[in-house]
Amino acid sequence: MRAPNEFVFATVQYESGDWDSAPLVPANITDSIARYTSIAVQPSGAIVPLASPELLRYPLAFMTGHLPVRFSDAERASLRTYLERGGMLFCDDHNHDIDGAFHKTATEELGRVAGPLAELPNTHALYSAFFKFEDGPPATGHELNGWGDNLIHKHLLAAMRGDRIAVLFSNKDYSSEWGYHPENKRFLSVDNTRFGVNVVVYALTR
Amino acid sequence: MSAGSRLKTARASLALGAVARAAVAGVAAYGALLALGSGAEWIFGLPLGLRFSFVAIRTVAAVMAMGIVLWRAKGVAHERDVALWLEERVPVLRYVLVTAIEPRFAPMMPDLERAIAPVRWNGAIARAVARGLAIPAAVAIASLLVIAALPDAAVARARAPRAGDAAVRVGPGAPPNLLAPLSATVTPPAYAHERRITIEEPSTISALAGSDVTLEGHGAGSAISASDSAHAWRVTGEGDRWRLGLRVSAQPSVIRLSDGTHSRLVVVEPRADSAPRVTLRAPARDTIVRVARGIMPLVADASDDIGLAAAWLEYIVSSGEGESFTFRSGVVARTRLSGARSIVLRGALMLDALALKPGDIVHLRAVARDENTVSGPGLGVSETRTLRVPRKGEDDSVAVEAAPPPEADQSALSERMLIILADSLQRVRPKLTRGVVVNESQRIGADQARLRKRVADIIFIRLEGESSAEESRGSESRAKLSPEALLKAAEEATKSASAEGLDFEGGESPVVHINRPLLEAYNAMWEAGRELDGGEPGRALPHMRAALAAIQRARQAERIYLRGRPPSIVVDLAKVRLTGKLDRVGAAPRMPRASVDPAAARRVTRFDAALRLANADRAAAIDSLILLRVSALTSAPGLAASIADAVDALRGGRDATAALVRARRALLGEPRSVDSLPAWSGW
Repeated sequence: MRAPNEFVFATVQYESGDWDSAPLVPANITDSIARYTSIAVQPSGAIVPLASPELLRYPLAFMTGHLPVRFSDAERASLRTYLERGGMLFCDDHNHDIDGAFHKTATEELGRVAGPLAELPNTHALYSAFFKFEDGPPATGHELNGWGDNLIHKHLLAAMRGDRIAVLFSNKDYSSEWGYHPENKRFLSVDNTRFGVNVVVYALTR
Repeated sequence: MSAGSRLKTARASLALGAVARAAVAGVAAYGALLALGSGAEWIFGLPLGLRFSFVAIRTVAAVMAMGIVLWRAKGVAHERDVALWLEERVPVLRYVLVTAIEPRFAPMMPDLERAIAPVRWNGAIARAVARGLAIPAAVAIASLLVIAALPDAAVARARAPRAGDAAVRVGPGAPPNLLAPLSATVTPPAYAHERRITIEEPSTISALAGSDVTLEGHGAGSAISASDSAHAWRVTGEGDRWRLGLRVSAQPSVIRLSDGTHSRLVVVEPRADSAPRVTLRAPARDTIVRVARGIMPLVADASDDIGLAAAWLEYIVSSGEGESFTFRSGVVARTRLSGARSIVLRGALMLDALALKPGDIVHLRAVARDENTVSGPGLGVSETRTLRVPRKGEDDSVAVEAAPPPEADQSALSERMLIILADSLQRVRPKLTRGVVVNESQRIGADQARLRKRVADIIFIRLEGESSAEESRGSESRAKLSPEALLKAAEEATKSASAEGLDFEGGESPVVHINRPLLEAYNAMWEAGRELDGGEPGRALPHMRAALAAIQRARQAERIYLRGRPPSIVVDLAKVRLTGKLDRVGAAPRMPRASVDPAAARRVTRFDAALRLANADRAAAIDSLILLRVSALTSAPGLAASIADAVDALRGGRDATAALVRARRALLGEPRSVDSLPAWSGW
């Protein structure tokens, strides 16, 4: 049982698709929250069914996958309630693709629940919520050359509730970028999970 | 002429006189009421409903007048009554006539005939008929004179009222307010197949988005100004009438009309066309099948508030696992509908034709599109059902080192990006100068050339293990190669390889066969690059899409990002925070969110301000409430409805307290009791 004021990184479990395709991300972001901030945090993440009322216990929910996403009515209703009550959903396309199956279906489903997703300006408060990202969302190794395909998405997408982000959608494949054991973070010259800290801090303070 | 014959003639004359009197009385009643209504319409301007009522009242009054006259003259039906009537008015008869018509006095008839013969009664009949006609005729003539004196338009509106005719109403001295009376004609969009309607004195026009609205009043168009929050509207004039035409947009708006001294608000409230509702009836639930064979029946219901244009069933087959997936999609039972409100869609999925393998998942759903050609089309989709074929060893796991995606995948992704860039450039092209278009197009063309070279590398590495084929083949190879030339080169390259001698489709070697789509992509990229270098992104797009399609076909290889089940990781927070055994440092508690969101708080402020105005300036308060209602139409429909009731009550001079109380409740929300602190209060 977690303490009521501890942050828990929650991964959303939805009925269609492969919701569990990035199992190392929660631990990695939890590690970064502990490393850079004084936010009380639970050492392991949680998995919460999208249709469950338990979702309302988590201010930030993470969603990822490769396969087509089709929400059930219960999932749609639960997510709508969650967003209306101030929750924030961070959805990342694990395919890192344009117009791919996950992108098309997930944006369509999220659009039905939260309204159309629009490009988030790179000057948005999200990019300065903790670390400063002057150029907007940081590029991932799957975008940059090398193994990357040089396909760089300049913006994240978002659906707003008032002036607050309700749904944040990324095509940048942070699920792959952050999908490694936190112990290996010491081999990186620049921690590539810092943007994850911004997402968490933004969700907890807006 | 005998007494009997003379009596019959007298009876016929009296009957004719009664009918004439009835007709004139009917005309008099109708005319008097028409004159009265026309005068009232001319002086006061009667509401349309009241004028319709007057039509019915006039008709009933005329019929009643005729009926009363005929009832009173019913005596002419009996010979004896006519004889008595004559005896009363011609006393010299001394009851001889009444006696003559009694059968029992027939033997005395010769004497009676002699007594009756000299008496004349035609004068009495003529006087009676003239007296009966005099008053109704006088009333009818007076009514006709009054009607003739009134303006024709006022008489026409009273005689045959119709919606919208009040816009031409001009009373004595012409009222200075050009904004009243006001009428609005709403013409729904053609796809809705609805009739045009006219609204008298509109304060709110609720219409389907895309409808054409014409506001109309009397006065010159140049004297009227109209605007909403975004821009000013142009008011046209025709004779002594002004007209304002506008189209209902997706957002509610308030039209402010002014004639210089008076102003008036008209709310245009769009009625959204709902997206179709689609339900997939069969299959009823997700299914797992060990062997996917046979025919799967598909049934779906679709309905729409206006009309459906098309419906179909679609599927996506996803194959693969881990991070390697391929997708196929298709459509079943596509049906064109011409405005049907609801249908049952039936189809069948041939599982054998899909050639499903273990691990494949078929995603099924039904889709319907409505006929909305204005803001749509609206698309409705059903819940998705899945049909899964399990793998033989689903619990197996394998750990393989990660590898980069195959080159063909990279090419496909980048070509998509270039298509998006070219498409974007084409869209904004009309706003750009030619020089900018050419520069941007050439920049995309340079990327296209780089990508083409990468495709060439893939082809020639596969064929002969040598990269940079374009450069290595000299300047002549930089020119566009036809697919045949490239295939020939590829064939030549493979002759030295071990593939020689293998029989394959069309006599090609397997290597060439596999590379044919990439060769097509290469060729299409040449064409696209040429158009882009010439500053024609629009012409390049078909070639770019052809290249992408070819690359997609070439995606034979699978990614090998297979992963095993990772360990459950618990972060050692003390270690990460370098706190060791020290007491943990607590984070500052998070403040709970405000109970009322800022938009709701602003609405409360505006509502209070409108109520404060109500006593001092009722019209201004009504306008404020109308504006508040428009802002709440989409975000707080309950509040908007309550405010509409309150505005109607205030306009009609009725007590608006109940509606305002409902609006206040909608603003602040119903009080709720909770058993415990909400889940988020601890943050």
